[in-house]
Amino acid sequence: MALTFQQFLFYAFAAVLVGAALGVITARNPVHSVLYLVLAFFTSAALWLLMEAEFLALTLVLVYVGAVMVLFLFVVMMLDIDLAALRAGFTRYLPLGLVVAALIVWEMASVLGPARFGPGRVAAPAPHGAGYSNTKALGETLYTQHLYAFEVAALILLVAIVAAIALTLRRRPDTRRQDPARQVRVRRRDRVRLVRMAPERRPAPAASEPGGRTGTEEA
Amino acid sequence: MRYVYLGIPLAPLAGAIVAGLFGAFWPRLGRAACHWAAILGVAVAFALSLVVLWEQTLGGGEPWNGAIYTWMVSDGIRFEIGFLVDRLTALMVTTVTFVSLMVHIYTIGYMHDDPGYRRFFAYIALFTFSMLMLVMSNNFLQLFFGWEAVGLVSYLLIGFWFKRETAIYANLKAFLVNRVGDFGFVLGIAAILAYFHSLDYADVFTAAPMARDLTIEVLPGLEWPVITLICLLLFVGAMGKSAQVPLHVWLPDSMEGPTPISALIHAATMVTAGIFMVARMSPLYELSETALSVVLVIGAVTAFATGLLGLVQHDIKRVIAYSTLSQLGYMTVALGASAYAAAIFHLMTHAFFKALLFLAAGSVIIALHHEQDMRKMGGLRRYMPVTYWTALIGSLALIGTPGFSGFYSKEHIIEAAHGASRWGAELAYWAVLAGVFVTALYTFRMFFLVFHGRERMDEHARAHLRESPKVVTVPLVLLAIPSVAVGALTIEPLLFGGWFGEAIRVAPEHDVLAGLAAHFHGAWAYALHAVRTPPFWLAAAGVLTAAVVYLWRPALAGLAVRVARPLYLALVHKYWADDFNEIVLAGGARRLGRLLWQVGDVLVIDGAMVNGTARLVGMVAAVARHVQTGYLYHYAFAMLIGLLAMTSWLLGLMR
Amino acid sequence: MLSTLSDLTLMAPELWLAAMACVVLVADVYAGGGRGTVAYLLAQLALLGGMWLLLADAVPAPEALFGGAFLRDPLADVLKAAVLVLTVAVFAYARGYLQGRGLDRGEYYVLGLFGVLGMMVLISAGNLLTLYLGLELLALSLYAMVALHRDSLEASEAAMKYFVLGALASGMMLYGISLLYGVTGSLALDVVARAAAADASDPVMLLALAFVIVGVAFKLGAVPFHMWIPDVYHGAPAAVALYVGAAPKIAGFALAMRLLVEGLGGLQAEWADMLVVLAVLSIAIGNVVAIAQTNIKRMLGYSTISHIGFLLLGLIAGTRDGYGAAMFYALTYALMAAGAFGVVAIMSRRSEAELLDDYRGLNARNPWLAFMMLILMFSMAGVPPTVGFYAKLTVLKAVIDVGALWLAVVAVAFSIVGAFYYLRVVKLMYFDEPPEEAAVRAGLQAGTVLSANGLAVLGLGLLPGALLALCLQVVG
Repeated sequence: MALTFQQFLFYAFAAVLVGAALGVITARNPVHSVLYLVLAFFTSAALWLLMEAEFLALTLVLVYVGAVMVLFLFVVMMLDIDLAALRAGFTRYLPLGLVVAALIVWEMASVLGPARFGPGRVAAPAPHGAGYSNTKALGETLYTQHLYAFEVAALILLVAIVAAIALTLRRRPDTRRQDPARQVRVRRRDRVRLVRMAPERRPAPAASEPGGRTGTEEA
Repeated sequence: MRYVYLGIPLAPLAGAIVAGLFGAFWPRLGRAACHWAAILGVAVAFALSLVVLWEQTLGGGEPWNGAIYTWMVSDGIRFEIGFLVDRLTALMVTTVTFVSLMVHIYTIGYMHDDPGYRRFFAYIALFTFSMLMLVMSNNFLQLFFGWEAVGLVSYLLIGFWFKRETAIYANLKAFLVNRVGDFGFVLGIAAILAYFHSLDYADVFTAAPMARDLTIEVLPGLEWPVITLICLLLFVGAMGKSAQVPLHVWLPDSMEGPTPISALIHAATMVTAGIFMVARMSPLYELSETALSVVLVIGAVTAFATGLLGLVQHDIKRVIAYSTLSQLGYMTVALGASAYAAAIFHLMTHAFFKALLFLAAGSVIIALHHEQDMRKMGGLRRYMPVTYWTALIGSLALIGTPGFSGFYSKEHIIEAAHGASRWGAELAYWAVLAGVFVTALYTFRMFFLVFHGRERMDEHARAHLRESPKVVTVPLVLLAIPSVAVGALTIEPLLFGGWFGEAIRVAPEHDVLAGLAAHFHGAWAYALHAVRTPPFWLAAAGVLTAAVVYLWRPALAGLAVRVARPLYLALVHKYWADDFNEIVLAGGARRLGRLLWQVGDVLVIDGAMVNGTARLVGMVAAVARHVQTGYLYHYAFAMLIGLLAMTSWLLGLMR
Repeated sequence: MLSTLSDLTLMAPELWLAAMACVVLVADVYAGGGRGTVAYLLAQLALLGGMWLLLADAVPAPEALFGGAFLRDPLADVLKAAVLVLTVAVFAYARGYLQGRGLDRGEYYVLGLFGVLGMMVLISAGNLLTLYLGLELLALSLYAMVALHRDSLEASEAAMKYFVLGALASGMMLYGISLLYGVTGSLALDVVARAAAADASDPVMLLALAFVIVGVAFKLGAVPFHMWIPDVYHGAPAAVALYVGAAPKIAGFALAMRLLVEGLGGLQAEWADMLVVLAVLSIAIGNVVAIAQTNIKRMLGYSTISHIGFLLLGLIAGTRDGYGAAMFYALTYALMAAGAFGVVAIMSRRSEAELLDDYRGLNARNPWLAFMMLILMFSMAGVPPTVGFYAKLTVLKAVIDVGALWLAVVAVAFSIVGAFYYLRVVKLMYFDEPPEEAAVRAGLQAGTVLSANGLAVLGLGLLPGALLALCLQVVG
């Protein structure tokens, strides 16, 4: 059985993907986990490219790797995660966890094997020509057939934004803020007062009178 | 007229509600407002019942039988509230409302200083309502309602002074004994429902002759006619309510209630419910010779035996209570002799003079500051003339002095028992005849002990002795009038004029009163004729004996006690009926109950089942709650296990 | 596919709610000091307006939009109406609590409205995608609401658990949905239904079923996917527990109906087997563990679990009567839960009154409140004159009609066990001495709504016929 180049690429990326996914959950350092996740995203993007889903592949890289994962990385680095606490009990539960996981995997594999989802069962999609726009096709179906779902998804994002702001934004009463508009609107006479005064001799040490001082007042 | 009928029971009900509910929730409603509300309600009912009586008697009105309100229809059986208004009803309603009205007025004086004043008026008005519902009913359901309602109010009133140990004991006893009777009664109604598929009087009475030959297997191998069974069961109810031997034990104890109640409930009205019911059911009883014989014998035993008990009582009210028992026995004898009209007639006259006697006794009790022991009375004649004379009238009526109302009714019962030919009639005749002597003896024993002889009260009481106020004496006078006159005025239509019409049905071969009619030539002639009959001489002998023993030779009483010691003991212990009930029946029930409680409830149900289960569940819960550890990964893991189990099950299904 | 704009009137309630949620959001930002008031009034307006739009042209027969993605049928109309009514009541109860606890910000109402929208999308879902999206919209709103009280450590912990477990469950469900898509090639529920009916023994389908059930069971809170419920009810502020405990149960029922009954009806025999286990475990564990609780919110959480078990019984029966009974159960249970949590919210205005001991002697402090709670507790326990009895009765009847007598016996046995902890609340309210004498005030608004709620529980118990007939009619 000859391996075509495409098949070779598929297996290679798939192998890296599975390895990276395992790395995400086994790495001891959370920063490493995030980096493994980035790797996983990259390799799945590559797999999608193989399936002619160019737009999705690029979006995955741009949005997830470029934006989301970087943010993740920042968060993980800033948080002081107690690794020891997270690891506590890991070995205790590992055997049982492994057994359960193995059973689920075995069951799923027995059902989802090539016998039911192999090329014999599912026809390969027809390859498209060079001028075919993946983006356009995606857009067309997204804004017609799946318009409703698309809009609901938008609402979900809105809720996520609202939730994020509601849960993190704090207005502390004692915080001092700048108000640029008022800063710009300030006139000279609001800040500086010129006082005419008679010259005086060097005073005694305790005689600093209020009237004899030039002050600025904060608005 | 429908609204008139409806108004009769509803007016006292309204009075009861105003006096009871508003009196409790709106304390500013004064005591006077309460008693006026109740009295007004009863007065309206009395006025309306006079209208009904006039309409039924002189107005030529037809009996009215109809439903007011259909409560529900189930399986073709109608449960209704309805009225049957005929002459029997009219007479009963008038009697009940009149006595009730008198008692209401009397109560103002008697209960004047009682803290439960409002409650008392609410109860007696409610009682009047219940009794009227019972009397006016046209179906068994409503009859039962009224039956139970008067029982309930009676319970409440006997225990009116609920802080008294004896009152509580007495009302419990009354309630329990009545329960025995009611059990039979409700079984009877159930049997009627089962065999006639209707609760309506008219339906049942129409169908009853056809059911004559129906039999039922009461015990294996023992076939009884259904009618007999029904009649006996209903009579068990009547025995409870009308205090016939052996269910009579509650009535003397019921004297623990305030005296107006003794007059209203335990003399004039409620206890006559059983008599009224049997008279009302005359179309059924006429079909069963056996049942009538039982009625006759029970009545005879009650009439004589309980009269004797009156001889040894010291409490004035108890004497009258035993007298009531005895008189109820007379009525029952009349029923058993198929002389239903005579029973109702005696019921009416007895209501008047017995209420009178009770109220007179009450008047004495007030004057002596609630002293009821006759040994501490005597010579009251000088202090309380009105009470004395009205009590004398009542006593003369009770013993059947010719011309007084009691004479006409009682004489005819004796004659009816004499004339009846069924099994037990002979016994009944001798019992009621002997009863005349006993009645006269205990009545005048009481009368002499209270009003004549030495003044045995203490100095302090004597100093305060005076006649009772108007609210007390006016009812006495008002009751004294019918006690004298009502018999002579009404005997002819009631007994011989066929006045009751269709309300009372007597089979021709049983009709003893018809036989007596031949010898009746007017009330006065009858009274004159009476001096030649044994009852008159027996009564006279009784009075004389009483006079000898209790006025002239008091030592004779002690001698009699020594001579007839066994009899005396039996009487003092009331034939040991209470002891039997207390030790054998109640004690046995208590022992059985305690056994079942300790073994069944405490050990098995509470111990093993309830507490055991609860403890088990509690332990399981305490353990199970620890599954909820609070650790996220435990939760997630539980979900995974669940998923694994489900996939395994579903996929395992395939193989 | 959308042909004309007027077709959109079918989804007018959803559009209105989405728009109003945004309006509340913006108004909340610009409104001055009494922000909570503006948001609250607008939110109630949104719900009532949605109600009006919904009822103004209730559909007699199913109609679809967006190629079947949006489905409007009588079942959807009734369930949506119930969600809207309950949420009106929930907001009214919550208002006083939020004010008293310094949480009276617009976010509660905004998130609440989005949650309602999510439920409506879920209820009207005609394909797997919208089903999932509706579920997520609802779930996300709930996660955020649970965490709304930022200063409370318990609330944050509860939100975290809820979020992680919810994500796990919806991930599993999504995996199941993707398997269904893979095996049928379509997301439309009717296509899936045909495929399921054609070959009920397809292992892929069965595997998908297992994953999908996880999602449904988690949403409803059936054992062993129930672990979040006690912790979330306990940790969340009373106003949020109130929201989580009431209307989303109706959404959960809708999810089960759409996914299991309409989508995978061909596999009824298979999923009924699963649900039997879940139902028995739920009834048993819910009722038994509730007894050991000292916290009323937690107790009500376990009570929810047991009630969900009963609801599942109706689905297990698999007949029209059974589905109708389950729907009746879901509607009336949500009503009872709203009332019970409403009382908790009213009691918790000044400080969290969440221990059972806080309810001691309530009768002396506010007899009407205690009486309403009595009705609600009786109803939850299934005492006859209340609707709870009738709901249990219809469900049990449906189960017995299909011959599963043992199931009914088990359910009844455990609900007798359960009666204990409901009656304990009654005992505490009526027979124990109050810890403090101060009267509890419900306020006019919450008091009125609570009275209506309690009396509805009683009234529906006396006259359940109309609602039951409606349920039977719309599920058929």
